Amino acid sequence: MPEGYLRPRLDALRRHQNPDGGWGYFPGKRSWLEPTAYALLALQSESGSPAWQKGWRLLRSWQRDDGAWQPNGHVPEAHWSTALAITLHCANNIHDAAFSKGVDWMLATSGAETRLFNRLFAMLDKSPTGHDLKLQGWPWRPNATAWIEPTAHTLVALKKAAKQVRNSELSRRIVLGEGMILGRRCSDGGWNYGAKAALGIELPSYPETTALALLGLQGSREVDLTAALRQAHHLWQDSRSRWSRAWLAISLRSFGSVLPEEPESQPPTHDLILTALEALATPEGGHRYFRPDGVAA
Amino acid sequence: MKPCITRRALLPAAAAALASCQKSPEPIPFAGTSPVAVLKAKNYQEDLVTHILTGIRLCGLQVKDKRVVLKPNLVEFDAATSINTDVALVAAALHAFRSLGAASVTIAEGPGHRRDTFGLADEAGYWKGVKDFEDNFVDLNRDDVSPIKNFAGQAQFFFPNTVLAADLIVSMPKMKTHHWAGATLSMKNFFGLVPGAIYGWPKNTLHQIGIPESIVALNRQFRRTFAIVDGIVGMEGNGPIQGTPKKAGVLVFGKDLVAVDATCCRIMGIDPAKIEYLNIAVDLGATNPAQIQQRGENAAAVRTNFQLFPDSTLRLA
Repeated sequence: MPEGYLRPRLDALRRHQNPDGGWGYFPGKRSWLEPTAYALLALQSESGSPAWQKGWRLLRSWQRDDGAWQPNGHVPEAHWSTALAITLHCANNIHDAAFSKGVDWMLATSGAETRLFNRLFAMLDKSPTGHDLKLQGWPWRPNATAWIEPTAHTLVALKKAAKQVRNSELSRRIVLGEGMILGRRCSDGGWNYGAKAALGIELPSYPETTALALLGLQGSREVDLTAALRQAHHLWQDSRSRWSRAWLAISLRSFGSVLPEEPESQPPTHDLILTALEALATPEGGHRYFRPDGVAA
Repeated sequence: MKPCITRRALLPAAAAALASCQKSPEPIPFAGTSPVAVLKAKNYQEDLVTHILTGIRLCGLQVKDKRVVLKPNLVEFDAATSINTDVALVAAALHAFRSLGAASVTIAEGPGHRRDTFGLADEAGYWKGVKDFEDNFVDLNRDDVSPIKNFAGQAQFFFPNTVLAADLIVSMPKMKTHHWAGATLSMKNFFGLVPGAIYGWPKNTLHQIGIPESIVALNRQFRRTFAIVDGIVGMEGNGPIQGTPKKAGVLVFGKDLVAVDATCCRIMGIDPAKIEYLNIAVDLGATNPAQIQQRGENAAAVRTNFQLFPDSTLRLA
């Protein structure tokens, strides 16, 4: 990837870092965990710099007593983006008490639909979803149902954390989480947010969630992902959405696909997550941070 | 043997249990009248600015010096169907509200399924159809937020600062059938006010509260509203995403969103009494035709029956 594509994105991230050290979703907005985590990953090569460390300290300060991270400094609620915080810890080889508490929180959290009462209630539902409710995924926030995106991010984090965590629950949850993703695959071979049909009518897959589902399934020994990777490649070729193309490039490159480079003339947008994702999606970018240790591309 | 529970302990517990069994007081039905304007519009090439100015005038809406948020319905990447509010109508509304002296006019939306809001807006033609779109648009899914207490039984709920600061939220939905709710119109369009950055994609918290209950709670929370319903080409069948385009050739306007939705239902050939969220919004606005002051076209004269999803419990009125 030419410098002319990556450098403006990294420059934009440096320029739009907030005084508190974090990043907002857009320039001048409050810092949130999600853009801060992606920006820190994109700027990982500068992890020794005072600016990077300031962002890291801010992110660390958002951990709650229960081990979960909250989405920003103003919303004191446990949040799925705990997975991003753990992935960032792994990228920096930091496996301290905060890391362990975060992993424990993820292992204690699952989609509300898998609870016994909800499973019994689902048996009475006239329009069942067809989901296997024993397969525990992860929700956007506690006490909600599980969806593809938070499940994929949590699987990435847990797989990266696996070598450092001695807990049989981790292996069990990875198997269940992978099962949940596989069970919600659309008939076209990809994934949407997590419903393959509504009222009996099939729903199509989305590019960005297909990319994330594949990231979550990395290293799975049980699954042949050839068709899903082919679908992801089709989606990458067909999609005009830069958000989708960035996630697909991160995912496909994590699986070793060789993709054409994005045009150097394409400037970064004011969407700071997209800016970070586009930087991470470059061949020399940080897509490797989403790959579990020991999994070959 | 001593009793396990003393009378002193039992009485307050019993009182609390009785209180919890008592139904919350029935809401007092809306007793006023509400103007709703229905205007014919054959296509999106018509002078939509004039139509919107006419609708605003017929409903007696004051706009001057208000911070206005236009809330279209952006749902999916599919330019070939009628899922999203047409950009021509949104651009015309931007122009109309500015011409009436609004302090500011912002387009804002938080799609329920897709994270790439700007890409979605591009696919729907908004970047081309609205001058300086990026400067005039806020992604409500990723806006900064502030807490509200006691929303829909939740101790604390977060909403985007852009909508909390608005003097007027203009709901601009597509006129569509909905496979769960029966119809998706100006009131359900407020699902897009809930920030995905906290509640996710889809905004499952709203489904847990209950779709009708959430629709009503959002409309109870945000009362300074106006509706402009895009019924020029709507959607019938398996809405709100997989249905087919349906030409109804109308725009529907009003300050009372309950009255607007009830009127839209009648235009679509749906009995409003069969729409659950309208039944539980009795205190928020008018559903009874006797309480709706029809302006412009008569709703019955522009009725265009929309096909409902076959499994729907609804039937055409």
